[in-house]
Amino acid sequence: MKMEDMPLSGPDNTKLEALVNDIYSELVEDACLGLCFEVHRAVKQGYFFLDETDQESMKEFEIVDQPGVDIFGQVYNQWKNKECECPNCKRLIAASRFAPHLEKCLGMGRNSSRIANRRLASNNNTSKSESDQEDNDDLNDNDWSYGAEKRAKKRKSDKSQNSPRRSKTLKHKNGFSPFQYNYNAGINYEMLGPDEVRSFLTTQCGVISEHTKKMCTRSQRCPQHTDEQRMAVRVFLLGPSAPVLPEADSVAGPESFDIPDGQALMSRLQWEDSPEISPSDSASSKASEEKSGSPFPIKLRMDKEPISVSLTGTNHSDSRRPKKKKRPPLGLNSGGGIGSLSGGGGGGGGGGSQTNISLSTKKKKPKLTAPSISSIYDDLN
Amino acid sequence: MVFINEKMNKESRLKATINQRLTELGERERLKELLRAKLTECGWKDQMKAHCKEVIREKGLEHVTVEDLVVEITPKGRALVPDSVKKELLQRIRAFLAQHAA
Repeated sequence: MKMEDMPLSGPDNTKLEALVNDIYSELVEDACLGLCFEVHRAVKQGYFFLDETDQESMKEFEIVDQPGVDIFGQVYNQWKNKECECPNCKRLIAASRFAPHLEKCLGMGRNSSRIANRRLASNNNTSKSESDQEDNDDLNDNDWSYGAEKRAKKRKSDKSQNSPRRSKTLKHKNGFSPFQYNYNAGINYEMLGPDEVRSFLTTQCGVISEHTKKMCTRSQRCPQHTDEQRMAVRVFLLGPSAPVLPEADSVAGPESFDIPDGQALMSRLQWEDSPEISPSDSASSKASEEKSGSPFPIKLRMDKEPISVSLTGTNHSDSRRPKKKKRPPLGLNSGGGIGSLSGGGGGGGGGGSQTNISLSTKKKKPKLTAPSISSIYDDLN
Repeated sequence: MVFINEKMNKESRLKATINQRLTELGERERLKELLRAKLTECGWKDQMKAHCKEVIREKGLEHVTVEDLVVEITPKGRALVPDSVKKELLQRIRAFLAQHAA
């Protein structure tokens, strides 16, 4: 039923308006009725007057409408400028900093021991200690009242290193402080003298990154770089005549005998090629007092530079790939065979690969001697 | 007479139709809700409740009837609707009619 026959002309317009008003009135009346029902029900159910109590309480909790105050009559920022006296150190501390100050002052918070230790450490290291100021505590706390807070801010760099909230930066604790550190913890090899390079390379990976020309400061076993790379870096930096890995020179002698055994052990442990290996064990082991029959020649070498072997010798990354196996040419060579210990691809020369192995073997020592110990007793029994 | 009656019939027919349309399309419910919300928002409801309290105190809490309230409240309620709310609602109704009836 369409209304096209009712155009919006004059008289009809008023009719339409009247209609609109009618509809509106209906809606309003509906709303009023709704309210009435609601109120009536509240009255009969007894909850209509619940929000009213005695006159006294009503006055007390009346809505406040003054400037500077909220509707409850409370002042905003009331405690902002107040200071509290610390029961421990008797200082006046700003209210908002009171809780963290107490943490440190009483030595009970999460960071308090950390900061204290670090402070002790830095006190020991630096010649000009911070004790010429009145209190170490003062410097590392930001707990000043407002006037002196600026001084504390200078020490922020000290504080920022110890809290767990701060971002991680790499810390270097080998006394390399004179060198320039970047945030990425890389070192420019150009900045180091030869001795420094050598000492650096004895403990760090040192592989030079292609992009940044910096040396890797991770440990000798860092997973990002292979032993080949480390060897190459050492050759590059120290000259091919002295490819240096730590302690190689000092213990070159006994090492040369130890290594094949170590490798033998490793190969034994990994492949259980015992018959192959034992003859070489007996031939090469200088220090072992027991004969080759024992499956673990290493046991007696524990008092020397003990060899726990990383099998692959040169490549740690290789050792982690389970599929790849290096054949016993490693194990079967006694002293003279160092030069042929090239299984791992340590192309830097026999000495290099040897020293690589010795280094890696040393690192793995704790793990491997444990099983060998137990087996010793088994044998004895 | 017949003519007037016809006219009246037409009008009432029109009205009936429009009302039907309003309900069918859910517009009536929407308008109701809109009105209620607006009245609460502008404080009309609290005003009316305060008035109710007076009436109840006057009549006695135990003996108030719905009729009492209706009689007291409705005229005042109609009068107290703010102009802005009234205008908006009229606007919406007109729009609805324009869309669905002309």
